[in-house]
Amino acid sequence: MSSGDANPAATPMPCEDVQGDGRWMSMHNRFVSDSKGKEPDVLFVGDSLVQLLHEFEVWRKLFSPLHTLNFGIGGDATQHVLWRLSNGELDHISPKVVVLWVGTNNHGHTPEQICGGIMAIVHLINQHLPQAHILVLGILPRGKTPNPLRDRNARVNALVQDELASVSYSSFLDVDPGFIHSDGSISHQDLYDYLHLTPHAYQKVCEPLYKSVKALLEMHAP
Amino acid sequence: MTDNADATLLGVMSEDENPAAEATALLDVQGDGRWMSQHNRFVQECKDAEPDVLFVGDSMVQLMQQQEVWRQLFSPLHALNFGIGGDTTGSVLWRLQNGELENIRPRVVVLWVGTNNHDHTAEQVAGGVLAIVRLLHTRLPKAKTIVLGLLPRGEYPNPLRDKNLAVNNFLRASLPRTGPVQFLDVSGRFVHSDGTISCRDMFDFLHLTASGYSKIATPLHELLLQLLEETPQERRASLV
Repeated sequence: MSSGDANPAATPMPCEDVQGDGRWMSMHNRFVSDSKGKEPDVLFVGDSLVQLLHEFEVWRKLFSPLHTLNFGIGGDATQHVLWRLSNGELDHISPKVVVLWVGTNNHGHTPEQICGGIMAIVHLINQHLPQAHILVLGILPRGKTPNPLRDRNARVNALVQDELASVSYSSFLDVDPGFIHSDGSISHQDLYDYLHLTPHAYQKVCEPLYKSVKALLEMHAP
Repeated sequence: MTDNADATLLGVMSEDENPAAEATALLDVQGDGRWMSQHNRFVQECKDAEPDVLFVGDSMVQLMQQQEVWRQLFSPLHALNFGIGGDTTGSVLWRLQNGELENIRPRVVVLWVGTNNHDHTAEQVAGGVLAIVRLLHTRLPKAKTIVLGLLPRGEYPNPLRDKNLAVNNFLRASLPRTGPVQFLDVSGRFVHSDGTISCRDMFDFLHLTASGYSKIATPLHELLLQLLEETPQERRASLV
């Protein structure tokens, strides 16, 4: 726990419209509207790794049939997701499973702060949706060769996994199928820009993810 | 066009003091060196491949390669994709000056960049695109170039739509009507009568969905086929 200073990664913060086309707020508003109109059993929330998943065939094949909504926004860090979920995106829906995948964009934050941000989101979701199970996905490695962000992401995962061990309504899932090769490199066939997933890599990631989501849904079934 | 616009166009033509026409490598602020890794990979691809078509630009180019449409329409044309998300005219210029045009003789280059030039005016952005076109003509004198117009962005009308429109207008006026450059602008296909852009076309009101890409891919593919037919293949032996 920090000395009492607010954790920037755990302080809800909307994204500032620096570019000038209001896209972040447009997307948030659409999600709020979706929340009012739809009845998802599964909700995905997070950053571009969540958002882009929606654009590939694997979403249509595996997750659409489960009545899934996708509330991913590219560039989002934990504090942005926290703000969105505190401002309407969880209203009026009661999914049985929430998949949370966020943290890689928390630049300038320590692993402890990022973990704190993720845990804040987990607690917030539980407050709004006490019946839901929250599946927190491990943050993937990034960069072509070993670098500080890989270390940071791995440390976040370790911290989160540890904290979630004592949380009954949430669990941690490592979806990295082994993107780092024996020589320490990541292939562009998996992460085309050494951060974002190719459709082929999404298939690999979604296999364990789908299994876990299905199992959780089945646990919920009457 | 008014005299003012003509004067501005002349200003656009000069590369002096246009920051959008300055070759600029991107700094690694995040800490994982991804931009340079991608650039190095493209330089390596230049050593190994013999593309007939080269796509170069920002995420609009890069993401196309992850879509089915790339496999269906552009791979078969022996195309290489040198798009990097976030790139501006300056960073594309730097890449092309630093190895990404070495050893290859594509017959057509497709250039799509400018929407990320947030620090520059529309005139400067157009000037940056023109600087790239000039570089391509110098380095690949036998190749044709297709410049894609910047797409509108944002769910509702906003200053960036106006800016991208202005860039397109400058380009349309200053790219030669005949000769080795073609300007392909499909931006009109994305804005609905109520002024909105649909997330079915642009999932984040900037980047294209598969269905959004098909609106570009069809006319682009047709134009490519036409240009490839007109431009003879340069055999490697003749370069010696």
